[in-house]
Amino acid sequence: MEAILRTENICKYFGGLKAVQEVNIEVEKGIILGIIGPNGAGKTTLFNVLTGTYNSTKGKVYFKDRNITNLKPEKVTGLGIARTFQNIKLFKNMSVLDNVKIGFHTQTKTRMIDAIFRTATYKNDDRICEEVGMELIERVGLKDLKDEFASNLAYGNQRKLEIARALAVNPDILLVDEPTAGMNHTETLEVVKLLEKLNSEGLTVIIIEHDMSVIMNLCHNIVVLNHGQKISEGPPEMVRHDEKVIEAYLGREE
Amino acid sequence: MDQLFSLIEKIKQKSVYYLIPIGIFVLIFPQLTDNQYVLHVSIRILIYMLLASSLNMIVGYTGQYNIGQAGFYAIGAYTAAIIATRAGYSFLLILPICGILAASMSVFLGFPTLRLRGIFFAFTTLGFSEVVRLTILNWRTLTRGTFGIPGIPLPEIVNFQVSTNNHFYYLGLFLLVIMLFISHRLINSRIGRAWVAIREDEDAAKAMGVETFKYKMINLMYGTFWAGIAGGFFAYFAGYVSADSFILDESFAILAMVLVGGKGTLVGPIVGAIILTILPELVREIARYRLVIFGIAILVMVHYRPQGIAGARAEGRRIAVESEYEAGTAEPVTETSGKGS
Amino acid sequence: MFYIEQLFNGITQGSIYALMAIGYSLIFGTLGLVTFVYGEVVVFGVFVGYYLYAVMGLNFGLALALGLVVTWGVGIIVDKVCYEKFRNAPRLIMLITTIGFAIFLKSSTQIVFGTQQRNMPDILGHVFLNIGTFRIPFIQILIILACIFFIVGLQLLLYRTRIGTALRALSMDKDAAFLVGVDVDKVIKFGHSLGCVLGVFGGVLLGVFYNAINPIMGPNIGLKAFTATVLGGITSIPGAVIGGLILGVMENLTVAVYSAGYRDIIAFIILITVLVIRPSGLFGRKLES
Repeated sequence: MEAILRTENICKYFGGLKAVQEVNIEVEKGIILGIIGPNGAGKTTLFNVLTGTYNSTKGKVYFKDRNITNLKPEKVTGLGIARTFQNIKLFKNMSVLDNVKIGFHTQTKTRMIDAIFRTATYKNDDRICEEVGMELIERVGLKDLKDEFASNLAYGNQRKLEIARALAVNPDILLVDEPTAGMNHTETLEVVKLLEKLNSEGLTVIIIEHDMSVIMNLCHNIVVLNHGQKISEGPPEMVRHDEKVIEAYLGREE
Repeated sequence: MDQLFSLIEKIKQKSVYYLIPIGIFVLIFPQLTDNQYVLHVSIRILIYMLLASSLNMIVGYTGQYNIGQAGFYAIGAYTAAIIATRAGYSFLLILPICGILAASMSVFLGFPTLRLRGIFFAFTTLGFSEVVRLTILNWRTLTRGTFGIPGIPLPEIVNFQVSTNNHFYYLGLFLLVIMLFISHRLINSRIGRAWVAIREDEDAAKAMGVETFKYKMINLMYGTFWAGIAGGFFAYFAGYVSADSFILDESFAILAMVLVGGKGTLVGPIVGAIILTILPELVREIARYRLVIFGIAILVMVHYRPQGIAGARAEGRRIAVESEYEAGTAEPVTETSGKGS
Repeated sequence: MFYIEQLFNGITQGSIYALMAIGYSLIFGTLGLVTFVYGEVVVFGVFVGYYLYAVMGLNFGLALALGLVVTWGVGIIVDKVCYEKFRNAPRLIMLITTIGFAIFLKSSTQIVFGTQQRNMPDILGHVFLNIGTFRIPFIQILIILACIFFIVGLQLLLYRTRIGTALRALSMDKDAAFLVGVDVDKVIKFGHSLGCVLGVFGGVLLGVFYNAINPIMGPNIGLKAFTATVLGGITSIPGAVIGGLILGVMENLTVAVYSAGYRDIIAFIILITVLVIRPSGLFGRKLES
């Protein structure tokens, strides 16, 4: 299988704190990769390095064999990597639909002239935003709330909207950071089903999650981080019986 | 205060019904009165509407606090004054030049500051408007320094001489309508959405692929372009320009109109410009305290109604207040973090 | 000879800017309060002192002391109106509130004290110190000494007293400071007012240096204090001192070479240059988000 995204000895240090150290991952096309680890293991930092939010201290990131290390986040998104945020970052004073419309930014081309004179380009872009945007909102089950301000949504719905917004980028790979945090059981199931469905349509997914049942059910492969280092990797069955992983989660028993 | 705000909400809900009669009134207004003073004030209000709307593009839509809009206003006014008195080009040629020159100056300002956040931009724009004023005062061969430039000819549009207050009223109104029309179209496009996304959460905007620096720059240029146009119009209307018209207090007044009227909506700055210009005219006693009141009004708004008089925000006041403060605009001291440096 | 005099003028003025800049750095860098109102508070404080001295006829020391007390109070009011409710809000809100307060205070100062430039009483105006062929106005040496006194005093306060420790703790981690029992609210009010008072000292010395004070100099003072602070690196108080000195010297050399009309442009040019070349300033640590 070809790796759609891989890192070579990626490192991120904050002063003396080594948040991510020499991590190598390979994400095969079309899989769901889980990233787990105790709090402060460097999972979100790794996401931030992959997406260009942070510059890496050392190491390289390749996306479809192209070196994307330290590219700006907006460029990374343009190449086809979308993400959601652990601490929800919606455009709060914009409607649900408008939030999703922003996601089409890289695929649409409207310039100032087009917008002022409503040229064919504008009309075409507008139609894409409207139609595909509505489809995406429907997929995550927010159709009835399309005109609501994002800040007025319930917590679970906000997370769903973040996913819809990321999908609007039309990514090859989706990075979701704790997509079910704060959700009840039903909502969690909905999100799991959605991610499975998306994956079956060919989308590669990397997921950070604390809910082990979600991880074990969803992921084809799991990477375990602890203190910024990769301590284990493999299919769910293997990882869950790995001594080092159990140790990291439960602490060493002397 | 709450009752007043709820009344405003009610008016806003029915705003469509008011729009047509208001439009008609605005159109026939100069026919209703011969009072030159009233007309003169109306034209000044139109200029302030244009200025407040142009500043609102920057402050209200991308959340960049420009404290020196009067500097760009001055550039427009002096451009018109200098070219019209010396070269004698036609009005239709000069007016766009005013806007373009103001916009190109904003590039120099935007380049070092738009990568940083909040207060850096604010102080730099403040400094810039002072630099513009000092340059006007000191570059005497070009600007005649403290004497100002008198004798700006009346504008001529294709053989039609714009001469009376009536004419200027319609010309100003035309410019304002054009500005609002274009702005409306931009806001409801990919470009405007990118602007608002930057205001709401810059990191998330980047994650959606928005080149934030580029769009902030476009936004700044667009906003200052119209300030330049307003300046050009003012120069022709007044027939005389001097540095005194472009002091910091002018920037403050324009900013107050945006914040009090309601940033981030097209109608907000219009309402703000009307209220804050008419009030000191009606009640002469308070004219002296104009800016004291503006300052207090800004503070009252931030505390009790962050969206301004005509602004729309997430449902209900409480939520509106919270979302305003929680919105991910929290910023590090400098944005040298992570990227760049 | 002329240039050496200008250099000395620059150092004098620079140490005044340094004093204003450490006040600003204390508020903006240490406490993390975005402020646009600083220059206006300084002007207001200076004019209160001037009014008590020149109009009410109090003696200089008493007028200055009362002026500082009033400044302290204004500092508390600014905190109440502009910061208290927004401690955990985005910094942008503080920018708006302080802009609003600045507009209010600037116009109020002009209404209460007029828009005229006032002549500062000439103290020790004609006493010179002769070193060889140089004649250095005694007042300049006094100004420099006063600035050094306050700068050293602030350092002692920060590193030798309880409240100073609390201030430093606050600048590192507000939540942690709260957890170890620091009264965050009180310390912020104290630090903010202290910063304002330092600024007013600077303002008074500036008035003494020029023999004049101007009610519309607020935005300029704010811009210069901000520029010196940014040049020095925002969080660094020694940096602010050096930033202030550089600004003062550059200004006076420009006046010497060019023309006095462009004096106030220098701060802007330095600010832009720093932001382009090194936004973290000369002594700032680079911040990672």
